Amino acid sequence: MNQGFIDPDVLLSLGAVDGLGRIEAGDGGELRLGAMATHRAVERAPATAAWPVLRRAFSLVASPRVRNVATVGGVLADADYASDPPAVLSALGARAVLRSASGEREVGIGELIRGYYETCIAPDELLVEVRVPPQPEAAVYRKFRSRSCEDRPCVAVAAVRDGDALRVVVGAVAETPQHFPDVCALGAGRAAEIGAAYGERIEPIADARGSAAYRRRVTAVEVRRAVEAVA
Amino acid sequence: MIGVDPRVSGTQRYSVHVERPGMLHAAFVRSPHAHARVLAVDASGLPADCVALLPEDVADLGRYGCQARDQRVLADVARHAGDIVAAVAAPTAAAARAAARSVDVTYEELPAVFDAVEAVAPGAPLLHPDAAESAGEAVSIGVRPLTGTNVCHRFRIRHGDAAAGFADADVIVSRAFRTPGAAHAPMEPHAALAEWEDGRLTLWTGTQTPFNTRADVAGAFGLRPDDVRVVAPPMGGSFGAKTFVRLEALVAALARKAGRPVKATLDRAEEFLCLNRHPATIRVRVGAKRDGTLVAKELDCWVDTGAYADCGPGVATKMGYAGVGPYRIPHVRVDALAIYTNLPPNGAYRGYGAMQSVWASERTMDALAEELGMSPLELRRRNLLRDGDVFATGEVMHDVHFEECLDAAARAVGYAEDPRGAGLCVLLKGMQTPSRAAVRIERNPVGYVVRSASCEMGQGVRASIRLMAAELLGCEPGQVEVPDPDTDTSPFDTRTTSSRSTHMMGRALAVAVRDLRANGGEHGFGEVVNEGGLDPDTGQGIASTHWHQGAASARVSVDEETGKLTVERLHGVAYAGRVVDRAGAELQNEGSMIMGLGTALFEELDFDDGQVANANLSDYNLPAPGDLPAGFTHELLESEGAEAHGLGETVLPPVPAAIGNALASLGLDVRELPLTPERVLEAVDRR
Repeated sequence: MNQGFIDPDVLLSLGAVDGLGRIEAGDGGELRLGAMATHRAVERAPATAAWPVLRRAFSLVASPRVRNVATVGGVLADADYASDPPAVLSALGARAVLRSASGEREVGIGELIRGYYETCIAPDELLVEVRVPPQPEAAVYRKFRSRSCEDRPCVAVAAVRDGDALRVVVGAVAETPQHFPDVCALGAGRAAEIGAAYGERIEPIADARGSAAYRRRVTAVEVRRAVEAVA
Repeated sequence: MIGVDPRVSGTQRYSVHVERPGMLHAAFVRSPHAHARVLAVDASGLPADCVALLPEDVADLGRYGCQARDQRVLADVARHAGDIVAAVAAPTAAAARAAARSVDVTYEELPAVFDAVEAVAPGAPLLHPDAAESAGEAVSIGVRPLTGTNVCHRFRIRHGDAAAGFADADVIVSRAFRTPGAAHAPMEPHAALAEWEDGRLTLWTGTQTPFNTRADVAGAFGLRPDDVRVVAPPMGGSFGAKTFVRLEALVAALARKAGRPVKATLDRAEEFLCLNRHPATIRVRVGAKRDGTLVAKELDCWVDTGAYADCGPGVATKMGYAGVGPYRIPHVRVDALAIYTNLPPNGAYRGYGAMQSVWASERTMDALAEELGMSPLELRRRNLLRDGDVFATGEVMHDVHFEECLDAAARAVGYAEDPRGAGLCVLLKGMQTPSRAAVRIERNPVGYVVRSASCEMGQGVRASIRLMAAELLGCEPGQVEVPDPDTDTSPFDTRTTSSRSTHMMGRALAVAVRDLRANGGEHGFGEVVNEGGLDPDTGQGIASTHWHQGAASARVSVDEETGKLTVERLHGVAYAGRVVDRAGAELQNEGSMIMGLGTALFEELDFDDGQVANANLSDYNLPAPGDLPAGFTHELLESEGAEAHGLGETVLPPVPAAIGNALASLGLDVRELPLTPERVLEAVDRR
């Protein structure tokens, strides 16, 4: 709105909707983040203690002032490519709960975020909650900034290893978080190859934080480092 | 909350807070094109309670501009994307913005140019074929436009014989550097309110230049300066952005049409269109004897002043002589061109052009040291100006402290022990010259009222005046009242720029206190006048009656896989002479260094066909607390019996060069600011 991309006639605040800000344990050890839970709350709530990688990723967003108002639902529904939470939530296998008058459905982050500021949320649906499976021990979030420490990421890498299963998601380099299961199948022992493959496979965008060619190079380096960290 | 800083308690009132009964709010109709002739303006869709300012409403008004009268109240030719071609006033700011969107403008697009070097090439589109010179009070330099070109001012230094000097050199190094445009980004945006009463105009405006603004607005409206009153509330930051006429002529014309007071407040995106920092391309050539003695230097500056000259001629001048550096060089040639392009206007920015040329000049010194196989510290020491030396302007230098500044900077990063990964920079910077400052003191029941036109913008000038006056008057600072500058009641002051106020006002205060004592203790008036100025064709004369002397040093590390540069240590040194307000002086040093850090690492306006592509504070990054180096220190050098030296800007200009030199010591030569990881990685690839 500030930048004039949209000019809505009516704005509806969700601030008074009961329960949307809850952060609590769900079934099977999963974490439930209400859509109106703030980044700051995710970073500090006792319920998120067993998800240190999530806490870390949310703690790296902008400044405390921004994190005190930015919400889990807001950052996902906004679908800005240059955000921190989508990559880490995707790597953890989180699912977004979309509710409408006629029912409820759960979608993965890869399905939710379709493109540049574009999601699969239907006009009659509201993103009400994000469900995050238990965090495996080996999980890391690396945020590479090319400018200020409060900047959005130039390249964001989330890597999670559960036994032999490796999941690497790269954010901020393309319209949507990038995940290549076949590359991840190489296994955490082959960090350099995985990094190189991610660097080649992504279709990077260019912006003020870096050119497309630069993003390829940094992606290769940062993916390698992330995989080494969870190996 | 008594005793609490009003900025902390929230009770401080700024220009954005000024209101007058019955006032309307302004909004502007801006050109979407970077260069276009306005063919027609249709405001027939305007709501009845709105007032439109159209070309015919300003036809009787003259042009304005502090150093070249090249601006009209409404642009008949839009010269940058965002140039104001019409304006509206409405009962609320939101209604005004909606009304401005309903105004329909027909344009004829013209070819545009966005780079200063291209703008002086043959066949480049001309922005101001008939640029007239201003003769206002603001002009302190002879402006030398080159007719039939986009050059609005050419400043030259001719000292010795550069060609002969180079012929005598054993080693010659030549380099070209670039710096981008940058935003001042004050927290408080520009705001101005105009009200007419019986043909007399009052302006409440956040400005560093109340008297210059009064003269220039009066000129445009055909009024005597006394028929215009400028009141300058404190500013929530400025850094040079709120100098000379910005919104004042527009709100005055709107208020005249509306018959009511009109106020304008820019939004954040508009701030990026109002006034920015000059992008510059600078070529340096320097020659030395084998032992490191400098014999000749040439400096060519292409200074992009954007769509209007503003104070670009002055900036080009200061950039020109600051780029000579604080060195003894017998043969010097400088050519600095202030050049029109179709970018938003560029003007004063903390350091006034010094950063751009110091970046180029001091990076070249390290390149020369490498060529000579000499320590950059030793090369500088060998050539630094000392008391009694002659500078390139012909001035004999006194009160010289460059070596102390440089040595302190080198010591702070252990430069002599380990120069690898470390960098130095030393600078000389002038103060506005010629310059006049006056102050009036009145006794009141509590203590004294001190009236001056020194403007508070967060730099702490009120605190400095209060402290200096209390010391001279023998009272407590709390007994000294310092009202807002008001051209009706404050005596004349050139302007609050170039780190001059504590230095100039301190001296004027001493005169005023002597006058008060000699005349019964009720009233005192003091004035100081500094004569001087440079011949723009030769650069000879008095560049500055008092020199700002400083240095910076840095220690860096680089992630050579990503190019990410980390400044581990940053140290700034300013020669203060005598510190008046220690806390305030320290904040000035720290603030300057932080702005220098942003300049060095990431601040850059991103133009896309003349449109500012990052006109918000998410896409345009400013340094945050977490960006400060782990080692972030500074010094204020003092000496016994010295007078107070200005220090509001001194340690900004040397920061980028100190960091760039530290990077160069690792074999990573980046010649364009900012030093982004991408540019550093390219340097890693080249090495």
